[in-house]
Amino acid sequence: MSRTTGQLQGYRAGELDLLGVLETAIAQNPRLLKGGLPNLAFFKAANEALLEPDTADDGRGFPQVEFWLALARGAGLLAAREGRLEPTAAADRFFAQPFAQRRAALREAWLTCAELNELTFAPDLELPGLKKLRTVDVVSDVPPPQRVQDMRRGVVRLLREISAETALSSLLTLAEARLRDVLIDHSDDASWRHVFYRGIRERGAAEDLERAGRWRQVEGAFIRVLCELPLSRLGYVAWDGSRATLEALDEPVPESAAEVVVQPNFEVVVLGEAPDTAQVWRLARFTEPVPGRRVRKYQLEKKRFAEALGRGQNAQELVALLASMSRTPLPQNVKFSLDDWGQLTERIRIWPDALFVEAEGVENLSDTLPAALVEKLGLVPLGGGHRACPAPDIAALRALMPARRALFDYSRALPRVMRPARGLEIEAPRETLHFRARQVLALLTRQEGADRYLLDPERVAKAAPGLGARELRGRLESALTEELWPQLALALRSWSGEFGSVFVGQAELLLCDDLDQARALALQPEFSAWVERQLSTSAFLLRPGAGERVRAFLKLLGPGTVRSSLTGRAKP
Amino acid sequence: MKFHLHVGVIETSDEATLEELLAVTRLGPRVLARVAPNVAILEREDAQSALEELEKRGLHPKVSK
Repeated sequence: MSRTTGQLQGYRAGELDLLGVLETAIAQNPRLLKGGLPNLAFFKAANEALLEPDTADDGRGFPQVEFWLALARGAGLLAAREGRLEPTAAADRFFAQPFAQRRAALREAWLTCAELNELTFAPDLELPGLKKLRTVDVVSDVPPPQRVQDMRRGVVRLLREISAETALSSLLTLAEARLRDVLIDHSDDASWRHVFYRGIRERGAAEDLERAGRWRQVEGAFIRVLCELPLSRLGYVAWDGSRATLEALDEPVPESAAEVVVQPNFEVVVLGEAPDTAQVWRLARFTEPVPGRRVRKYQLEKKRFAEALGRGQNAQELVALLASMSRTPLPQNVKFSLDDWGQLTERIRIWPDALFVEAEGVENLSDTLPAALVEKLGLVPLGGGHRACPAPDIAALRALMPARRALFDYSRALPRVMRPARGLEIEAPRETLHFRARQVLALLTRQEGADRYLLDPERVAKAAPGLGARELRGRLESALTEELWPQLALALRSWSGEFGSVFVGQAELLLCDDLDQARALALQPEFSAWVERQLSTSAFLLRPGAGERVRAFLKLLGPGTVRSSLTGRAKP
Repeated sequence: MKFHLHVGVIETSDEATLEELLAVTRLGPRVLARVAPNVAILEREDAQSALEELEKRGLHPKVSK
């Protein structure tokens, strides 16, 4: 962890660290592990993007990254999406705010952050009482989130009493007097139960720390961590780690001191130690950031550019932004490519999980859709007068949509809305039809009336090769309120090719009355030359012309061994 | 009006582009409905596979999530 902040200090330095962590999240799009945190590779990369990275060799991991990650999640700047950590729209809104508002928002996020316990960052302490994921064991004195938050607020209040440079030891004296029981309750220290800081010990020690005379070692360590990290990085104080002193910080709105160079190889370089973080964030949102400390690089890429357009950015505006940031005119090849990417991307728009509002007939949704619904969900007009937006939460949708309107949720099984009528007819009331039912009707039928459809052999035959006969039947069955009627089933399965052709005509049979007799005949060497197919255990379809040969063979066995009628036994 | 939640929607600049897209991704038979010449409705997983197929080919459509 940093002891000094170099030339940059206060929230200005902190925000650059936050930017580094967010850019790493963009670049790596890390998958979240079971505990809800990204993997070690992310922590290492994000740590390298900090102004003063942690060394990670003191066994504490990467406290600065943990800190910024917790804050970013607490402020809603980063969130899990499909199992991955991603910047949110709230991050864009955050960086669109002025400097002072951003600082105030992050300070509030820190004061109320429940994910973070600064005691875990104290270099000389170990917290065996703290279980995985910073959950507090019930029998430990490791402070729960509420006490941590109270202590943060208490220390911030104390800072108002500091005017000149103050030694940390003086602050601790003041804090011990005013905030003695805030982080950990000491009111019952005389009790045998409270001899030790349960679950808190010196790094490497086998025993928990005794409470008597150790307030500065435990609570003091907590306050020192506050000075080093949150208070310093959020601009409350200027912290000098080498002398362990702090001073109230009055941080003015900073002036940007950086240059942006757009190179013909599509690399954008931000030179200088103090770039405008709000501007750099906008750049990071449509490029591939290559997080770094002093020199920030951003690669212009088609995919990132398209993603930005998907979030509602405008290609021309992005080009104009880049041009305004660059100290020189944009290279011609870069400008041409960006324009080209914009046009190509705008040709196809996909909502992978959408709410689609369908205009029926001549309905004009501009007149009928409630304005609150359009505005809150961000419904955009499509061809045909319809509207679409990313799928909202169903409860939020129900609260906004007009009453008595059909809502179909395609993440579930949809209602069966068609029923077989007479013969090959299907009835499907228009007002209840959803897209799955309509797909089945379009694939298999032709419309005969407002709500009546007729199974069409040509359409069935056309659809079957693409989807498969069974899939077709399955789709129809899943949309029907009743079982397929025999006539409908036969027609569908025949036209889709599920049923082959049927033989209708004359044929010769070999029919035995006795099973043993059939077995004995089957053992004859000539048998396979006579028989085309076995129909049952005692019935055989004979090959053309084989009847005469069978009769001749049987007659050799004696009279009455062969008959020409299906009824009656020739021999008892 | 009808509300269809959790469907995939594809809109293209023109009908020919949509035809081309459905041919390239082989999703023609899986389209639930063509609600306009340039708008197709699909199941979510089909829209996702269309997106992946396009990206595999170096095309990066505008994705609204």
